[in-house]
Amino acid sequence: MIVTILYYLLVAFVAFLVIRNLLKSREWQEEALYVVFLIPLLLRLLRLK
Amino acid sequence: MTRKFVIIVLGAALAVFAGLDFYRSRHLREPVVAGPGVARVKTLGDYFSKVKGTVNDCNVYILEGAQPGGAVLVLGGTHPEEPATRLVSWILAENGILEQGRLFVVCSANRSASTVTRPSGAYPDSFSIPTTWGGQTFRMGDRWSNPLDQWPDPEVYIHYPTGQNLAYMDGRNLNRTWPGRPGGTLTEKTTHAFMELIRTEKIDFVIDLHEAELQYPVISTIVAHPKGQDLAAMASMVLSGEEFKIGVESSPEALRGLSHREIGDHSDAFTLLFEAPEPFLDATRGRTDAKLLLEGKDDFVVRAGKRGLLFETIDKNGWPIDVRVGRHTSTILTVLDLWTLDHPDRGVILKNVPRYAEVIEKGTGAFLKDPASAESKTIHYE
Amino acid sequence: MSMPETAALVLGAMVAAYILAKILKVSTELSMLAAALVGAAVGGAGFPVRHIVEGAFTYLDICLIFITATLFMNLLKESGGVAFVIRRVLTRFHRRKALLFVMLALLLLIPGALTGAGSVTVLITGSLVATVLGYMNIPRARAAAIIFIIAGLSAAAPPVSLWAMLTAAGVNMPYVGFFLPLLVPCVLLALATIFILSRGAKPADLEAALRELPEAPPKMNWLKVAAPFALFFALILAGRMFPFGFPILGLPLMFAAAAVVTMLLSPVKIPFLDVAGRTVHQLLPLVGTLTCVGILVQIMTLTGARGLIAITVVTLPVTVVILTLFLTLPISEAVLMWGAAPVLGVPLVLLFNTINLNPIVALAGMSVIWPLGDAIPPTAIIGRLTVDTIGMKEPYGKFLKACLVPALLIILAGTLMVFFSKQLAFLTVL
Ligand SMILES: [Zn+2]
Repeated sequence: MIVTILYYLLVAFVAFLVIRNLLKSREWQEEALYVVFLIPLLLRLLRLK
Repeated sequence: MTRKFVIIVLGAALAVFAGLDFYRSRHLREPVVAGPGVARVKTLGDYFSKVKGTVNDCNVYILEGAQPGGAVLVLGGTHPEEPATRLVSWILAENGILEQGRLFVVCSANRSASTVTRPSGAYPDSFSIPTTWGGQTFRMGDRWSNPLDQWPDPEVYIHYPTGQNLAYMDGRNLNRTWPGRPGGTLTEKTTHAFMELIRTEKIDFVIDLHEAELQYPVISTIVAHPKGQDLAAMASMVLSGEEFKIGVESSPEALRGLSHREIGDHSDAFTLLFEAPEPFLDATRGRTDAKLLLEGKDDFVVRAGKRGLLFETIDKNGWPIDVRVGRHTSTILTVLDLWTLDHPDRGVILKNVPRYAEVIEKGTGAFLKDPASAESKTIHYE
Repeated sequence: MSMPETAALVLGAMVAAYILAKILKVSTELSMLAAALVGAAVGGAGFPVRHIVEGAFTYLDICLIFITATLFMNLLKESGGVAFVIRRVLTRFHRRKALLFVMLALLLLIPGALTGAGSVTVLITGSLVATVLGYMNIPRARAAAIIFIIAGLSAAAPPVSLWAMLTAAGVNMPYVGFFLPLLVPCVLLALATIFILSRGAKPADLEAALRELPEAPPKMNWLKVAAPFALFFALILAGRMFPFGFPILGLPLMFAAAAVVTMLLSPVKIPFLDVAGRTVHQLLPLVGTLTCVGILVQIMTLTGARGLIAITVVTLPVTVVILTLFLTLPISEAVLMWGAAPVLGVPLVLLFNTINLNPIVALAGMSVIWPLGDAIPPTAIIGRLTVDTIGMKEPYGKFLKACLVPALLIILAGTLMVFFSKQLAFLTVL
């Protein structure tokens, strides 16, 4: 149970880093890739998948 | 800046639409109209409190005969990606009438696994069985419990109590976690709860329904614990002579966590596990959709068969769902008949359930009940 | 149109879309995504939102392993731990070439073995080892080849071997019994590589090398380097020894724990958020690949293109299949990166299963060959990374030529492992 919560925190932290990098990025391919990778992270955080 | 904004908006739209879709299929309600044979409906949590209220607190339909006798548990949906198993349990719960003994029917043995489909598997999110009243829609599920209900996976899954090492994802496989563990994962708690049910209700034997890819060596067969070997062999003989070919295999001692091994080893009951062919699960399958799931026709699987790579035959007619459902209902009825013949005082006599030929002739949908025209207190949701 | 015809059309459209995207200078990851989207449209599935996003989930857990493991390695480097180890090893062994090479090979094997990614080896220990090799009079191109080949072997080495894990998952086979079948060839081939490519090396010029290598912080010591590793292995061991008393942690959390210990023990202050952000940026090509491969595989499955590949592979003559592994595996890797495992590895293992080869040893043999594709265009992802990281100025072809001999050795070893997998089955005890 605690471990599961830690995993959601881990995913939240990674999502935060991805968003931070996404906002800093200056290259469209990189931005697109960040967005693609962000989708599963966010849907897991929202417990949708 | 605008470019970044557009990319983000596109991604967000993708996430929102997919997210809604996932939510809808995960919460799709499947009605069961409890038939005249159902005396009571309990839930799995009634047998083990730690499962109560969880996603795996599935319904247990208890059919009771006027004459006392034995008790049998039928598990549908151990692997919800094997739809015939769930349809058979629906038919039993909605139609079955018991003359002797008690029959416990479960439609969603691993309910969590019925709420998710496999990433990269391209499964449809649901499938519909045509009926005269417009059809009934079911959730398509997976082989493993939903990661939303059990996360993370271990680095290697270690089976309780033998300590055998198994693949990490099989910690979410209901047919690798028998006999379960009261303090374990959700999937282990679920099998433990079923063991409690088996012990409290004095179940004589368990029927665990499955379907398998044709490339899997254990197919079109009854896998039996040594305690049930004679019954399985007799059933195989009778069925192969009268209705369709079905083999019999004995549960290997080296494979742990399976129902046909552990239930027999850890209780007075034993298990017979039925496998029917499901081309949808084959790795060489072509286009993956609900049509393949229900019709079981696939040119690539046929080609694999011609190369001698399969353990069951397949031609252009495929393995339609009605054939697979019919194989299971007939096997159940035959096993119950043979058991009752041998153990008259522990007999279980089941009526009003269609056999193989009748399911194929009328279609599975003919045996599903319309919830709209049923009394509301007979409706239960899976 | 019949289903097989549609599947062939879809596959053709996917290949065309991929090539077109590459011509337009789109990255491999996004080219795969483009191929998937085109394939879905041509296959009559339109724009299947649910399938696209579900596919993106396929390797989520593996991405988390990647990120946490690489964060751990990057923190170790930031703390000065890696520089410390390299300096100590060099000082201790600079007079004994053979022992030094063995130690360097091990230093190259560890990061990739733990993380499953050759790029982590290149980034964490690659540049430092290259410095040492430079002072031993080994030409740049050969040094790059040593780093690249051993990085590839480290990725295939246990405990985390992605090709084996992804393929095994695709055929419902437990990822169990792979430890020795992967470890033995990876270690032996790594040693062979470094000894072959470093022929003619002089003993290192200790003073000069130490001057160029980054300084280790004065307060760094063996205990501080070893503690996070000790914790990581203790957690794995605890999970195996007390499986029913110890909570299920999973690899990402174990790596995260090791990362936290590295942070706490570091003698220098580490800008954690920056390192973490850089880690994600550095891993974007890898997690991006995994995410896009997941989408691609889902669409290929949906449209029947995956089945077409699978049925074609399993109905080919077996000898032909095994004898061409040296071509098909690296090329599939060059095009699909890890996508090669679910797309090509799965039908191959199914085929080997039906002819009674040992699937574990055969898959391990394939796993050591696969990473060679990382030097071949269009992706050449690890090859380019290696050349950039160690600052090689010579043309890329020279690096490829230097890779040739060890590559042939690896191909030979891998193919023999497939052929004699049954005889080698005794390796699968761990
Ligand atoms: Zn099954």
